[in-house]
Amino acid sequence: PKVAPWPAIPIAKPDEVYAGLSDQAKEYPLFLESILRQEKNFEKPEALSRLRVLDCSTRMMIGHWCSSMLSELGAEVIQVEPPGGDPLRRNTPFGRKEYMFRDKETGEEVGGQFLHEMRNKHSITLNLETEEGREILKRLVTHADVLIENGPPGQWDSWGIGYRQLRELNPRLVYCWVGQRGQWGPLKDKPGVLDPTAQAACGFVHGTGDPKEFGGQPTRSALWMADHVGGTSAAMGILAAILHRDNVSGEGQFVEATAAEAVIRILDYNWAWHSMDGSIRPRYGNWDLAINIYAVNPCKDGYMMVGGGHDRLWYRIWRTVGDEYATVEEDILGDPHLREVADRLAHDMQVKTYTMLGEWLKDNPRAEAERKLSKQQVASGGVLYTNEVAEYPHFKYRGHVAETESPHYGKVLYGTTPFLQQKTPGRLKWLGRPTGYDNEDVYRRLLGFTREDFKRLKQAKVI
Amino acid sequence: MAKEATTKQATSFEQFCQETFDFKKAFGKPEALKGYRVLSCTQYILGPSCASYMGELGAEVIKIEAPRRGEAMRHTTPFNEPFLYPLSKWIPERGTGLGFLGANPNEYFISVDFHRPEGQAILKKLAAKSDVMVENYRPGTFDRWGIGYRQLREINPRLVYCWLGGFGGWGPGRVRASYDILGQAQGGNFGATGKPEFMGGAPAKHTIWLADYWGGMMGAVQILAALYWRDKISGEGTFIEYSQVHGVTRQLEYALPLYGRHGVTRERWGNWDTQLCVHGIIKCGKSSYPNSDNPQEQEEGYILISAYDDGDFAKLSKVVGDGKFAEKYAKHDVRVKPQSQMEIYPWLEKWAADKTKEQVAEILEKAGINNQPVWNSKEVANHPHWQQRGAVQWLDDPSFGDLLHQGPAYKMSHTPPRVKWALKPVGTDNEYILGKLAGLSSEELRRLEEQECI
Repeated sequence: PKVAPWPAIPIAKPDEVYAGLSDQAKEYPLFLESILRQEKNFEKPEALSRLRVLDCSTRMMIGHWCSSMLSELGAEVIQVEPPGGDPLRRNTPFGRKEYMFRDKETGEEVGGQFLHEMRNKHSITLNLETEEGREILKRLVTHADVLIENGPPGQWDSWGIGYRQLRELNPRLVYCWVGQRGQWGPLKDKPGVLDPTAQAACGFVHGTGDPKEFGGQPTRSALWMADHVGGTSAAMGILAAILHRDNVSGEGQFVEATAAEAVIRILDYNWAWHSMDGSIRPRYGNWDLAINIYAVNPCKDGYMMVGGGHDRLWYRIWRTVGDEYATVEEDILGDPHLREVADRLAHDMQVKTYTMLGEWLKDNPRAEAERKLSKQQVASGGVLYTNEVAEYPHFKYRGHVAETESPHYGKVLYGTTPFLQQKTPGRLKWLGRPTGYDNEDVYRRLLGFTREDFKRLKQAKVI
Repeated sequence: MAKEATTKQATSFEQFCQETFDFKKAFGKPEALKGYRVLSCTQYILGPSCASYMGELGAEVIKIEAPRRGEAMRHTTPFNEPFLYPLSKWIPERGTGLGFLGANPNEYFISVDFHRPEGQAILKKLAAKSDVMVENYRPGTFDRWGIGYRQLREINPRLVYCWLGGFGGWGPGRVRASYDILGQAQGGNFGATGKPEFMGGAPAKHTIWLADYWGGMMGAVQILAALYWRDKISGEGTFIEYSQVHGVTRQLEYALPLYGRHGVTRERWGNWDTQLCVHGIIKCGKSSYPNSDNPQEQEEGYILISAYDDGDFAKLSKVVGDGKFAEKYAKHDVRVKPQSQMEIYPWLEKWAADKTKEQVAEILEKAGINNQPVWNSKEVANHPHWQQRGAVQWLDDPSFGDLLHQGPAYKMSHTPPRVKWALKPVGTDNEYILGKLAGLSSEELRRLEEQECI
């Protein structure tokens, strides 16, 4: 079937967006546009352009996500894949080949998930299971600032290319291991352990979804979300290590980041709460244990978020609802148990609040509810699906979603880097590379390989 | 020296890691961001957590709140039950809610009213001596008050100014307020999570304040990169704008490429995986704690089974034992189809119907099949793996005593991030920080305090 080109609706122009505003009201947003618009990215330097990263992680998203953070900010990231490519390349929803992206020249296919993370990265192949492959890695490491790997615990060490050995070759190297549960400890990772293992192991899955009484069950994130959080925290650790190296010590170090622990770090108050009175965080669906109103509930044409916990917003929400429902006055505003912010958090009070709000929402579609609540400056908005995200006017205007023309894969729609910045913004230089596309460039440039080297190593299946 | 090297090589890798990453030894090691000063004019989670990650790395983070009651997040706590007392020396009868915890470790807490010229003058003095400013008021507010990026960069051109928020300060939606849950809802990960409609499901929120806490990490990554560029290359500060809804859209994996090429919208797929099978969470029929009086423990167990490689699936078939799908679904490209998944997972749940999650885990473990029981927060908090690694750790908090606290998100051998304290009452460090950095005498401090300017 023929697919309409993106965007289906043209992107707004600044004149339209700021029409009717006074010069004073326009001034600040236009100042921000002048320093942040992504169109100007290539007129600016890159924050990490002096760093070289070897990303040797395979199969798992966490390492790829981590190196994406660094490559969006300008680091030269070399993705080291086994000959034949990272198995992650072959992942495609429901195994559907027709959803894969095909290299125009070689016909090699790659899944959308891998493609989306293969941004600004070079692809080389190297077989680390061979002695010679490992010797080549050692030579590459002397040229690198950062190495990322996710081998089974101890594997690289026993191969003679672990942190303990590589730091001898390059004392400035920041060596980062990433995984699900860790490379040491009773639950250390096994080969093939992937997200959502981390999601289940950290308490996230148990806490997500509706309570059992409402027909719910523990729920995973649709995404390999723990890998995204873990990969971001790995990037944080790597950059801190680089800063310390260059500012103070001159020395690299060993960083370990796991998807599970990164999520444990951000699981709100679960641990302190448990330690205070033995509470086990229950599932609470699309409501929040600690804020009322702050929830997603069904509305006329989908699902609607409305939020406003403290008094100023609380009364504005009820003013909006009260315009259409006379009972708000007595049932909500007249209830002494709903007067104090903290009192509204009791479960019964949440049920009461959302029952009333739900009545109103069932007559209001997302856009209508948002329009009414926005008049009162209340945070609200519908749950958007991918097609709606891709076409959302604000996102298109700011370039949260964009299309790139890849020399290999044609036009690809993608989520742009959120690293907007005045002087050294993140950016997309290219999306996707066929397996081993940069072998010639990287091995010649860094290791001085000759035609004969390439021929011999290819035959020996080392690269 | 040579001798030491030999002993080190003789240590097993696991032992080496245990020693290298021992969180109890963190305080004997230097801090990566020692000497950096971060101002945090933030509330809720997104901005505060961003600054706190730098606090874990040793930066001096100064959190500035509204006098007396502090920021809004102190007044949130699950079901209005647990609080840490006192809220401040002025309001000892109230406490800080646990919503605040986790987003503000290791920070110095001062209170300043930015609405008043005197408060603004104090902030300028602090900004002149700081490396980073993290702020999340509505876009343009600080600019209007004369303490935004444009004014502060005149005072301190080396300042890295990071604004974090929902939709960003420009574009058609710039006036919209946002919270974590709205970032999830509109960014796109909410609509993709949960069971599909035809299975009786609806979009599901990620239980954590994900777009906030993880968004804060994204902000911190960008700040660290900007500091690197400043210190190593340019000497100049910069302005960062992080929109959490933009961040969420960035993490949609194949959804946008798929939509762009084929016009297909990614559908929810519950607890299974769209790309790998078997790689999903199933229900085990029996509760692990049938006699518990806590409903969280009474309910049935759940477990992730991961056997997507053909070899592992063959093993799994053998474990289940009825030989039903061994041949039919021997190949991954057949197994991963939606219709196949809809047969395979119920088949596994039927097999697990008379077992607890621990029993299923034990059987799979013996067969060499990857699995992970779905643990609740009690099971995680008490698991030796997480305790040994310091993912959760007992903290002797100087203000509040013993607390079980989350450890930092990652580990470092030479400059480990660490937790020093969870939080402090509002305004605790007024005297220390404002005396040191703003030159206020104790008389001035007293006067400002009486006027509720600090």
